[in-house]
Amino acid sequence: MQKKICMLGGFAVGKTSLVRRFVQSIFSETYLTTVGVKIDKKSVAFPDKTVDLILWDLAGEDDIGSFRVSYVRGASGLVLVVDGTRAATLAVALTLRERAEAEFGPMPFVLLFNKSDLADRWAIPDSEINELRQLGWQIYLTSALSGEHVDDAFRQLASMVTK
Amino acid sequence: MTSTVDPISLAQKAASNDTEIDREALASLLVEIARNVDPDYRARFDGVPTADPRMATLRQLLVGREISELSRVTHLLDEPEQLASAVGGVLPSAAARAPYAQLGEALAPAVERAVQRSIQKSPRTLTDILYPVFLPAIRKSIGEKIDQTFQSLNETLRHIFTWHGLKWRFEAWRTGASFSEVVLKHSLVYRVEHVFLINRNSGLLIAHVTADNATSEDPQLISSMLSAIQDFVKDSFNEKEQSGLDTIRFGELRLWSEVGPFATLVAVIRGNPPEELHEIIRDVLFRIHDECSQALEQFDGDSSQLAGIESQLQTCVELKQEDSSQGFPWLVVAAVLLVLIPAGGWFLLSWQSGQRWQAYVSRLSTQPGIIVAEQKVRDGQFYIAGLRDPLAADPQSLLSGTQVDPARVHSQWQFYQSLEPEFVLKRLTASLAPPKSVRLSIVNDRIVAEGEAPDTWIDRAHAAARQLSAGGPVFDISKVRDVSPEARAAEHWQAYVSRLSTQPGIIVAEQKVRDGQFYIAGLRDPLAADPLSLLSGTQVDPARVHSQWQFYQSLEPEFVLKRLTASLAPPDSVRLSIVNDRIIAEGEAPDTWIDRARATARQLSAGGPVFDISRVRDVSPEAREAERWQAYVSRLSTQPGIIVAEQKVRDGQFYIAGLRDPLAADPQALLSGTQIDPARVHSQWQFYQSLDPEFVLKRLTASLAPPKSVRLSIVEDRIVAEGEAPDTWIDRARVAARQLEAGGPVFDFSKVRDVSPEARAAEHWQTYVSRLEAQPGIIVAQQRASGGHFYISGLRDPQAADPQALLSGTGVDPVRVHSQWQFYQSLDPKFVVKRLMASLAPPDSVRFSIIKDRIVVVGEAPAAWIDRARVAAQQLAADGLSLEISELRELTPQKLTHLREAIQAVDILFDSGKAVPGPEQLPVLDKLANQLKELAKDARKAGVTAQFMLTGHSDAVGRETANASISAARAETVRALLKKRGVAPESLLVRGAGTFEPAETENSRTGSSANRRVSVTVNFH
Repeated sequence: MQKKICMLGGFAVGKTSLVRRFVQSIFSETYLTTVGVKIDKKSVAFPDKTVDLILWDLAGEDDIGSFRVSYVRGASGLVLVVDGTRAATLAVALTLRERAEAEFGPMPFVLLFNKSDLADRWAIPDSEINELRQLGWQIYLTSALSGEHVDDAFRQLASMVTK
Repeated sequence: MTSTVDPISLAQKAASNDTEIDREALASLLVEIARNVDPDYRARFDGVPTADPRMATLRQLLVGREISELSRVTHLLDEPEQLASAVGGVLPSAAARAPYAQLGEALAPAVERAVQRSIQKSPRTLTDILYPVFLPAIRKSIGEKIDQTFQSLNETLRHIFTWHGLKWRFEAWRTGASFSEVVLKHSLVYRVEHVFLINRNSGLLIAHVTADNATSEDPQLISSMLSAIQDFVKDSFNEKEQSGLDTIRFGELRLWSEVGPFATLVAVIRGNPPEELHEIIRDVLFRIHDECSQALEQFDGDSSQLAGIESQLQTCVELKQEDSSQGFPWLVVAAVLLVLIPAGGWFLLSWQSGQRWQAYVSRLSTQPGIIVAEQKVRDGQFYIAGLRDPLAADPQSLLSGTQVDPARVHSQWQFYQSLEPEFVLKRLTASLAPPKSVRLSIVNDRIVAEGEAPDTWIDRAHAAARQLSAGGPVFDISKVRDVSPEARAAEHWQAYVSRLSTQPGIIVAEQKVRDGQFYIAGLRDPLAADPLSLLSGTQVDPARVHSQWQFYQSLEPEFVLKRLTASLAPPDSVRLSIVNDRIIAEGEAPDTWIDRARATARQLSAGGPVFDISRVRDVSPEAREAERWQAYVSRLSTQPGIIVAEQKVRDGQFYIAGLRDPLAADPQALLSGTQIDPARVHSQWQFYQSLDPEFVLKRLTASLAPPKSVRLSIVEDRIVAEGEAPDTWIDRARVAARQLEAGGPVFDFSKVRDVSPEARAAEHWQTYVSRLEAQPGIIVAQQRASGGHFYISGLRDPQAADPQALLSGTGVDPVRVHSQWQFYQSLDPKFVVKRLMASLAPPDSVRFSIIKDRIVVVGEAPAAWIDRARVAAQQLAADGLSLEISELRELTPQKLTHLREAIQAVDILFDSGKAVPGPEQLPVLDKLANQLKELAKDARKAGVTAQFMLTGHSDAVGRETANASISAARAETVRALLKKRGVAPESLLVRGAGTFEPAETENSRTGSSANRRVSVTVNFH
């Protein structure tokens, strides 16, 4: 089973480094700056099946206007990545999701607050995260440095897109 | 009965075509019903006429509405216009609901006919419709066709005049194909290595097939990336066409992609494919779409539904054109090879073994001690014969490692003694057994023995050398020293003699050795080394030495020097030395000594070495003094701040005049240590202010008194002040700088930071902090000033002074002070006492005092309070503090008891019916008041509170209620009277007891006067 997943997030939120250690990849990071997308694969094994998540890592842009929405076509799910030390990146991620869903309809997603290892510079209040959780959103505090919760997030998304 | 009713006729008319109604059966049914209702009716009507109009009426009543509705529908069906509009309304939704396949089947023929008609009628219409669809396909097809033509033309041209061109022309003639076809067949070598089928929507891989031996990275990732690149190109160049990237070429590799409605097929081709391959690939793609269009359309990443597709793709992968060379005579080649291989192999092997043998033989020939006389190879066997020295290498062992089979080698060796130096050396080493001190070696084909050996060994070596002289190499033993004992003694003697000869002041005239005795004679200077003492350590036996020495005066410079040193006794300041055989005196001496030296030099000039005294300076006293004065003057001249204008020496007096800065060194002080007599120095100095930066710096330092935080220094003749200072100082510095502007060095104080406000604030802060630190019960743990704010933290006792309150008057802005105090209990005895006062509430009779860190409690207290104090003392002991209560006396309870008893024995008496005591009671009251006051005071001392209950009583005469009220009134009166006498009113309580607590039992009717009273009860709290 394969599923196309798009990773969306603002500039330098750490999408690429977040997946670097957890995925199979044959393409270098220069694809991101040339083609605007880099494709990685993450296999998630469940007892009854294995889901290959084909991850489209879209080049992070704070300029929402330059977002190539056509890359999202055919995606089964989204990974929204937010830099926990920059509150503005949450708005960017949510806007990107709106753009994608406006074009291709609603799809499951997970929301990752990255850089959780930088606790002293953390800029997102817990209350805000809890409010989003109240909406039933799947939210993970991740760290590309420690790898904390990254696998959990992919596993959750894999089970959501194959339901 | 006539039928004139309209509805009936209408019904009849409407139902006129309705022939199926059995009127007769209906009539009989109605008659039957009537009969059942009324039995008589049966008798009257035997039957009902079928044409009875009532029947029609009945029918109209029963089904009239249905009839009219039916007629409307019938009318609708009969009228084509209306039917068309009705069906037209529902047709689209009906078509949508019809089963997909059936509708298609049903419509296909009609649509086909319609299209046919349309084309027949006006082909233009359909062309216009299909134009956008077909145009790209046509364009692509034409493009491919043109490419194909060019490709064929290119290849044809390339091969037309070559050898295989001719061959292919023949093949074309033979097979009947066109020449260009044959050319393409041979020149287009390609192979389809991979085929990817990719979902167009998501870019996910549907299927992937690889040719044998072809490898690639993860196909899932590749397919996604391919579609990403397709999107990228499309987005980047705003390409609206449905088709995607057609061809990607990278060196030998080509990616050809064909786009279908739901899937894209990408073929990875290595080599040079013919253009027809496009069509083949396209066919495969169409076939796949044809067979599985639904599964492709609904593809969601699960390719298990599309298992059959791979076999379709496999047909693509099998496509290839290899550079074949048909008709090659394989059999002939095989036969020839069959013959050639063993023959070649044999030749190779025998050539190789011959080569190896030759290598072995030449190796043997170069071996020392081996002479190969003859060698040959016959029938694969090797024969060798010659001479070898027993000490030479073993030919057999040399064989190993050469790959020559030892079994096939037949050797014949004769031993001989090689005269090669190497072998001779070996043999000599074996026969002569040279001692360890001898080393044999080969130098230019000669055997050389070096080292030391006793003469016996040397003799044997001589014999061996003689033997070898016939034909063998030279054996040179001249470098072996004879170390037999005699030789050694002689050697020692010689060593001694040559040592003597080199001694200065000793001249060896004669020496000889005879019969183990040594004789020596010669001259010696008395100052020369003693020849006898030189003997020690030479191993020459002194007993066997016979010397004969005559004294003489050596004129060698060394000895002359010694003699001069002895005779002239030069002063310490003169140093004598020998330089190039001349004796040189250097240093300082008084002229008297110089005179003597000069006389000696003259004596020596006849034959002796030169005695040079020119370098001895005459240091007679005057000269010395003048020199010193000059040294002093030049020293003064170099002093900064001192200008020597004039100086002279006259009659042993020294005169000097000039200018000096008051800050410059004192010329007088400089005089000390110069050995100049200050009394003979006459100085005349005028003060001036040097503008030398150095002096200016000193003056500035003295006048400005810069704070410690300011550093003054001289940088390139400028005086630079750096650091921090308050504004007042900076103002003064500015004034000084302005003064210096006229001719003086620049005074640059721009690097001094004005720290007045901060400094002042910091000072105030420090004052405050030190004030806090001096406070008992306050411990300052940390304090700092940063960014104009002050931070302080520490501990404070709740009883200590309030740090905030201490702030007032310090000039520190309270708003900028951030304090963090933690309460603690100071163990300072003062605070402990404060706490004890608060917690124990000691009576006034107790006094706390602090004696050398001990808290001593003295005075009187009730036992209960002493107990509490004891508990407190124990608690304090745990903190290391001592609270001494041993001097505390227990307040005597008897005193209070006595007073109480005395008070309680007093009664204030009243006349009958009176609530105010008579005048005779006033002394009693006065006394009582005093007693109460005393008791209250004592009780307070003892730490208790005394309360006095005034109880009024009455006699039993009269009504009880009146008695009760008068008793209370008497108590109130007494209270007022006592209050008037100074007893604290809050200690006085009042109650009326009426007749219930009589002092004595009453019998008389007049009532007992003893019962008309107010009694006092004392209570302690």
